[in-house]
Amino acid sequence: MPEAFVPLTDFVNESKSIPNDHPLDKPVAKWTEEEVLNGEIVEAGVVILRTRGCYWSIKEGCSMCGYFNDTVPGGVSDGMLREQWKKVRPTLEGKKYAKIYTSGSFIDPTEVPFNFADEVMSDMSDMGIEKVLIESLPEFVNPKNFAYTNSPKLEIAIGLESSNPIVLDKSVNKRLRWPHFVKICKLARDNGAEVKAYILLKPPYLSEKESIEDAVKSAIDAAPHVDKISINPVNVQKNTVVEKLWFRNEWTAPWLWSVVEVLKRCEDLPVRVYSDPTGGGTRRGAHNCQSCNKKILDALKNHRLGSRDLKGLYCDCRPRWDALVKQSALRRNGSEPHGYRSGFAGSRHF
Amino acid sequence: MEPIGHEGLGRLLKLEDNLQTPHVVFSHTDLEEPKDLESGGSIKVGKTFDLPPSPLGLDSDKSPYLQLSENIAVIDNAYSIQPKKLVKIAADFRLEAGYSRLLYAPAVEPSHMPILAYLGVDIFDDLNVELRSSTGWVLESGEWIKQNGQIDDLFSHNRAELSRWILRIRNALSHGKLRELVEMTSLHNPRVSQILHHSVSLLMEKGARVHSMIRSNDLSLNHPAILDFQNRLSDYEPPAKNMVLLILPCSARKPYFKSSSHKRFFNALREVDNHLALHVVSVTSPLGLVPRELEFCYPAAHYDIAVTGKWNASEIEMLKSQLAKLNPTKHYAKAIIHAGSSSEIMTELVKELGIDVVDTRVEKPSSFEGLEILQNIARMTLSDIPILNTKDRAKGEAKGLAKFQYGDNADFLVNSEISGRMPYKLRCGDLAAMSPVVGGFGLTLKGGIEYSSQGGPVIAAENFKLVGDLFAVGVKSYKGNWNIGDQVVIKQNDVVTAVGIAKMAPEEMISMSRGVAVEVRHHA
Repeated sequence: MPEAFVPLTDFVNESKSIPNDHPLDKPVAKWTEEEVLNGEIVEAGVVILRTRGCYWSIKEGCSMCGYFNDTVPGGVSDGMLREQWKKVRPTLEGKKYAKIYTSGSFIDPTEVPFNFADEVMSDMSDMGIEKVLIESLPEFVNPKNFAYTNSPKLEIAIGLESSNPIVLDKSVNKRLRWPHFVKICKLARDNGAEVKAYILLKPPYLSEKESIEDAVKSAIDAAPHVDKISINPVNVQKNTVVEKLWFRNEWTAPWLWSVVEVLKRCEDLPVRVYSDPTGGGTRRGAHNCQSCNKKILDALKNHRLGSRDLKGLYCDCRPRWDALVKQSALRRNGSEPHGYRSGFAGSRHF
Repeated sequence: MEPIGHEGLGRLLKLEDNLQTPHVVFSHTDLEEPKDLESGGSIKVGKTFDLPPSPLGLDSDKSPYLQLSENIAVIDNAYSIQPKKLVKIAADFRLEAGYSRLLYAPAVEPSHMPILAYLGVDIFDDLNVELRSSTGWVLESGEWIKQNGQIDDLFSHNRAELSRWILRIRNALSHGKLRELVEMTSLHNPRVSQILHHSVSLLMEKGARVHSMIRSNDLSLNHPAILDFQNRLSDYEPPAKNMVLLILPCSARKPYFKSSSHKRFFNALREVDNHLALHVVSVTSPLGLVPRELEFCYPAAHYDIAVTGKWNASEIEMLKSQLAKLNPTKHYAKAIIHAGSSSEIMTELVKELGIDVVDTRVEKPSSFEGLEILQNIARMTLSDIPILNTKDRAKGEAKGLAKFQYGDNADFLVNSEISGRMPYKLRCGDLAAMSPVVGGFGLTLKGGIEYSSQGGPVIAAENFKLVGDLFAVGVKSYKGNWNIGDQVVIKQNDVVTAVGIAKMAPEEMISMSRGVAVEVRHHA
């Protein structure tokens, strides 16, 4: 493990707060969405189970991650997990693709007991689900943690965030090292699982330009070791370092143009690179100006579902993005003036 | 470097190459990007100096606040740090940076440059000016105006203007007039005026004492809209007799009832029995007192002021006269004061009038503890107050607002069938409804008919099918008087066909042959 960067560790810990009380027998959320499976567009069932949450968020946590807000610090018993499972089954029935999220690592046996996970996997297999996506921190990617008796094809999503150790240390606060990531990708793939990598776009402190470069570099680095890459623009979640910096106007959520730029520059990589921005189009998520948010998000969705085409997008705010990117590394943080994306229209900002 | 002038904490330094501070660097010639995340790039001020690395992973709320390289100290986020905090940091600028380093504040707005120079910043840049330029704004004496005529190269124009602006700051500093420039930029800029307010004791303690002439000015707020609002408060009546006056602080968000603090007050109070008998009046400067019903009325929802927590003598005098206009002895049985920094003053003033008053003595009115105390005091105070029901309260609210808005012509609204409740659903039958655009009761077409028969201003238009707004060319004659922005009634062939908002003065409508005369809100 690399050394902690103490100021950021303190900052992360001070930003957190104790999660609100949640009902234990209800999942956090469930919905369906379109996904690509074997080159075909299918409807996927997505569920988020309520668990104890990510062990790292209890210890320190990442600067942008507010998923601990949805967790139960005391843990959730097997019985309650089974209650939750009963409630999410209808969402999954008849689907070929399932995404089972927890606000942590599905294959951390201290968070999701192995017995329960094993039951759930065979249940999904019986339902006719072909592929299931789960998320995990790299440290739990160990074959014995996902040696299920009967399960659909496994896809493990791992948050690489960045291949640059400085970003991981001083911006994200994640103790991951590149050689370890390469090793566990191989381990997972050797044991029959696919690997999906999450790469952050614009983690805190980074400017627009630095973050684009970092995401592209990370995607190029990761491509040979994974099966697909999701570019995740950082959004402002509650009780995080990112939220504090955002309130102080020292960092703003990335532009959708930056997402488009990264995807364009990753077009020739041998794996699928796409993005589904959380909170896209809102002030807390990746956004441009009001008049093009929807257009760009639609284009990103089509791109994600296989059109692979991001050409011909334009809006009046595009030159503004150009101007910002050009100077952003000189601004020394990820900020920009209030109202810039809309051209300072409407009110007085000075 | 050679110091040749000082004012406040600011300094006029003579550098090499005939350069002087405060100085501005231009991003395309003087700044160089860092090579990697952990280095800082460089800056050219005559010679080229290394910049300190950017504050990666640091909490800007904690010291050290400056990033240092050998020759340069950087105050990051100078544009956004809380005013009070910024002044605290400024107190230690030279302790952290020493005197031989140049202090650089990246990406600040031109309007903030004078105050920052006054507090000791030596170097500024054009990063924000560049962004503004790319959106078509023109820099003019430190302020932004929207481009009207075409300027060929806006970037060069604005850079040149920024140089002139810095020259002006430097010039002011060398003649002991920087304070004047700072005061000027602070006038309509709450952030600058808050920084200025908080820096008083720092400047007294550490600032240079230069013997320059002080050309002073009593910065009174004689805005006509504010005086008008204050005067018309005497027309206003609270919703019912024998209510309990509850004085609350104002809020940054306008109208107040939409702010998070006032929502918290409301949520705490509505659990109290007979809470409708509480009448909320917010205390603020420069308006004085704003009863809840009038929060939509211009300019109660349209002002911003630097929050300092201090009340000066003229403001106290103003509060006193506003309180007299509200006439509490006649209208209220008791009073509760829950107004933070102004609590003491208000309690004193209400007490002078001989009304039973309780001060909650809470420093942070919307804190959890503050709300609990407020709730308990409200419960005790209301225990012997007659019950006021929703309907009577709504009637009273509508009456108060109508009188405030329409003065002597308000009877037709007061006597109508009033329904709904504040803020949005209050209606006077089918005559008028709440409208944030009008700022109070907006007349419907029927309301317009009544209003015109009560002596409201009427415009007679030519006989044609009126669609959209009424233009000056279609105006035949008028009756009554109004100011631009007032509601008027349009008649065609002696029949009311529309109501709207006047966009021209009475005679102007007649003599002009082009332009919008009335912005129509309702057509027949």
